[in-house]
Amino acid sequence: MLNSSKAVTPKSTIVVGLGNTLMCDEAVGVKLVQALETTVARNFPAVEFADYGTAGMRVLHGIANRQKAVIVDCALMNTPPGTIRRFMPDDVRSIKGMPGFSLHEGDLLSILEISEQLGERPPEIVIFGIEPATVAPGEELSQKLAAKFNSYLEMVRQELQE
Amino acid sequence: MPNSVDINVHHITRVEGHGNIRVRATDGTIEQVEWQVPEAPRFFEAMVRGRDFQDIQTIVSRICGICSVTHSLASLKAVEDAMGITVSDQTDKLRILAHYGEQIESHSLHVGYLVAPDLLGVKSVVPLIESHPDVVKTIIRVHRLGNDWMELIGGRRTHPVSLRVGGMGMIPSERELMALKKDIQERIPDVKTIAEVVLSLADKLPDFNRDTEYIALTDPDYYTFYHGDIASTDVADTQPVGNFESVVNEYVVDQSTAKWAKWHRDSYAVGALARFNINGDQLLPLARKTADMFGLEKGCCNPYMNNVAQLVEIVQVMEHSIQLIDELLEAGLENEFANPKPRAGNGAGAVEAPRGILFHRYEFDDNGKCLGGNISIPTNQNHGNIQKDFESLVPQMIERPQDEIRMALEMLVRAYDPCISCSTHMLNVEFV
Repeated sequence: MLNSSKAVTPKSTIVVGLGNTLMCDEAVGVKLVQALETTVARNFPAVEFADYGTAGMRVLHGIANRQKAVIVDCALMNTPPGTIRRFMPDDVRSIKGMPGFSLHEGDLLSILEISEQLGERPPEIVIFGIEPATVAPGEELSQKLAAKFNSYLEMVRQELQE
Repeated sequence: MPNSVDINVHHITRVEGHGNIRVRATDGTIEQVEWQVPEAPRFFEAMVRGRDFQDIQTIVSRICGICSVTHSLASLKAVEDAMGITVSDQTDKLRILAHYGEQIESHSLHVGYLVAPDLLGVKSVVPLIESHPDVVKTIIRVHRLGNDWMELIGGRRTHPVSLRVGGMGMIPSERELMALKKDIQERIPDVKTIAEVVLSLADKLPDFNRDTEYIALTDPDYYTFYHGDIASTDVADTQPVGNFESVVNEYVVDQSTAKWAKWHRDSYAVGALARFNINGDQLLPLARKTADMFGLEKGCCNPYMNNVAQLVEIVQVMEHSIQLIDELLEAGLENEFANPKPRAGNGAGAVEAPRGILFHRYEFDDNGKCLGGNISIPTNQNHGNIQKDFESLVPQMIERPQDEIRMALEMLVRAYDPCISCSTHMLNVEFV
């Protein structure tokens, strides 16, 4: 723990929303976490809600030494647009093509691997992947995802109640 | 025997832009050497049109998760320039401090996670955790410092909320600043350790030099990332930031949908090495010592040494941060309640991103509604120079094995620390 760290005692669970709010459905993870923070956060005092936007590598620090991490992100899963799936990191493998040229390439699964190797990975990690309908410049979710937004919220909320 | 080469480092995913490397040669005759950048069209300029001047920072901070403070500050400076708003000395210092957190985070991530694996001959940082655990943990400690630092000054770990037009939306307490100073002091030995590790592997950095024009901000008072005018290593005169379009001179090439840039030559370079080559005389003592460890001197034209210049800059911003914190504490912190009034105007702002100079320009009507914007990112300014480096390096290496050429070119691209495929980061998975 750093002397200047804001969090004196990190909360045992963190919910991380990832995505770019300028790219339509890419933002769904961020929008869900923002909505949870304003609607239900007070019911979950042991949960930190974190909008990490497109700063994927910061997940490494955010989840370190927690009991549980819930990560909500837009995901290409070869499922119909709007589909939400709950899975563990070991349930999937990344097929993301990354040439390793730039820090700006983010692959959540490799970050989780680094976390494990460092011995910092939470014992429980749950990922909610949401298949996008539209990934293009824009600040609104597609109609497809917007129509299902409340059901996504409910799924993540239930995850925190368990 | 003359070599035949066919290198095609090509990565296309469904939605992301990546840089591609293409080299072809037959019996030692080079037929194609290209750095190709299929970048998505730039849409941010359209997104800010019609928005209130106080919302611009919130929008542009989302362009990039790694450079979000830099984009925020460039936009704030442009808005303030357009509206004739000046900020306090305290705000200036806190902004620079927030920006330094980003520099540390980005530079340490780049040197540790992308460059170190190259120098140690592995594909990524993951195997290094097992083979060099102390090195990786040291890098992560420094990276983590930058991460927490930005939360302290920026109000959150990413996409800062405290950086506002005319002032700071929130300020750290004196106790928090003192704690940050202590953290910085405790991490300086870690950076020295990282520098020693890189120094022990420095012979792995290719000895390639090409006379290059370097561009960066310069300020008479200090090694700047935030204030000052635009300088070039080619000419003595500087240009005000308001003239940045006449510096960047964007142009289109067939091999790239990203625009390229040129000033006094066909291309120029921006980034840590550019800043060092222009402002290296202004380094603080520990940073100077770090540069001396590597024999890094002004006038260096080896693009691979950008990685070393980044290390030097980590030390520089740590040293300067300690000075800034002392000055802030001595003056005493005061809450600021900026209430900027809009007016019509056109303004430009420049800030040095970790990977080079970033320009923003906006125009506003009387009510502060944005009429248009223009953003010139450092990576686009470097594309033409990467191409020129390729054209110089490949003939020098053409008799070497293909894998060695490919590796040298990939390392070269990485040395520029480019920002590509920034707009989307989604998972792409299959279930097993």
